[in-house]
Amino acid sequence: MQNVIVTDLNRCVGCLSCSVACKSANSVPVGSFWNKVLRIGPNPKSPGAQCPDVEMYFLPVGCQHCVDPECVKVCPTGASQKMEDGTVQIDKSKCIGCQFCVMACPYNVRYLNKDEGVIEKCTLCEQKIAQGELPQCVEQCGARARFFGDLEKGIENLEGPGEPAAFGDDKSYEAMAKTRVRLGDYIHPFSEDEVHHLPDVGNKPSFSYILRDRQWYGEE
Amino acid sequence: MELQWELILFTTFIAWSAGLFGAQAFAAAFGQAKKAQLISWIAAALLLVIGGVAVFLHLQHWERIFNGFGHLTSGITQELIAIVVFAVVAIVYLIFMKRSEDGASVPKWLAWLAVALSAVLVIVMAHSYMMSARPAWDSFIWVAYVLGNSLVLGPATLAVIAALKGETDFKQIGLWVFVGALAGLVFALIYAVFTQMVGSSFTEVGLYFDPVHPTKAITDINAVIGGQALLLWLGAVVVGAALPAAAAFVARRKGDANSWKLWGIVIIITALIGAIVMRVVFYNLGLSVFMFY
Repeated sequence: MQNVIVTDLNRCVGCLSCSVACKSANSVPVGSFWNKVLRIGPNPKSPGAQCPDVEMYFLPVGCQHCVDPECVKVCPTGASQKMEDGTVQIDKSKCIGCQFCVMACPYNVRYLNKDEGVIEKCTLCEQKIAQGELPQCVEQCGARARFFGDLEKGIENLEGPGEPAAFGDDKSYEAMAKTRVRLGDYIHPFSEDEVHHLPDVGNKPSFSYILRDRQWYGEE
Repeated sequence: MELQWELILFTTFIAWSAGLFGAQAFAAAFGQAKKAQLISWIAAALLLVIGGVAVFLHLQHWERIFNGFGHLTSGITQELIAIVVFAVVAIVYLIFMKRSEDGASVPKWLAWLAVALSAVLVIVMAHSYMMSARPAWDSFIWVAYVLGNSLVLGPATLAVIAALKGETDFKQIGLWVFVGALAGLVFALIYAVFTQMVGSSFTEVGLYFDPVHPTKAITDINAVIGGQALLLWLGAVVVGAALPAAAAFVARRKGDANSWKLWGIVIIITALIGAIVMRVVFYNLGLSVFMFY
């Protein structure tokens, strides 16, 4: 099992809802982020091109819950762990705050919580997914660009929050939280070479990004 | 990456401690610097303690180290094992030394074991910073550089202690200090060149913008590397590696105890400056491969 989030970057509008929703749901300290949206570009569409022949995309970045996480390897106490659901979690009661996992992360997404003296990062909302809910950043994505699920069941089977029309008469939060759309049914078609990852230095990032008709920046 | 002063001091003092213990054991293997043996052992132990205190100050929850500590793939666990083995061998060394007829000799096998374990400790410690996530750190050249710190600081400290304790024969010790300082210079030069060439190892995304840091400039890795040039070349290479080698050359030519007292201290001070400055550069260039978060 490998729980992941896949983001359709052609749908992402850079609204930062994922970032704000994450901070709200997980009490992320001021100045720290478990999820951040970067704007990549504007970059020329072709070498030497000038404005308006430029393009850009928004890139939500957080822990990539790697298949072979370096942060887990360097942790002296086993506080950083690769779980059965494929996520990387931190047992705060074991963390000694040595910060070697912070150094070992290629994406710089871990930080020291100075109040608690332990390391924090995205948990993929383990408190929510354990109850069958979606991670908060997926649930509150303003463009329905993020999809969550077990990658081993196929990228097309990842799920996002449902359309309001699908709620029926029940407009409650519970109904909304249970209604889903399948990635394969919902987003525009894409080919395998349009599925990208953040740079891999041996850690094998499990999250992926779909980007069509634009140049992906940053090697795989 | 922000400077981790506790780790800068830890790696410097451990390299110094292991260098000194290794140097005294090396001298013992050749029957040299007998008057300096006990003081050198005490000095190496003190340096080890200072390094240990520094690293404990770095840990946010040191009281939890026995709560599951021992994950073997972790560089910190490997460091702890190496330090414990090093300390045990140092104690055995002290016992054999005190029981010897002249109070300053150890069996050859123990002397060489101490030399080897001193090197292993420095290598394991430096290796724990080799991370594929940080291109400027991810090379055995860094390990060689830290070993170079030990090779210059250890023999130079032994020479100063020997001079203070009234040793008169510096022919061999002088050669070791000079060779150690030369090795330190060569490794510093190679690591300095390596750090200047890592720019292409970082991910490039062209223009970018981080909405939560709207006033933060785009990181230009070549400018970051260029910004360290003065510290690197003047501080770490010229002052921290070339001067110790020059001082060792002068002290060796003069060859008397007074020269080793003076120039030996010059070597130690300049090599320490170099070791600390290089670690500052090491952290300043320790950007992650995807540096935009």
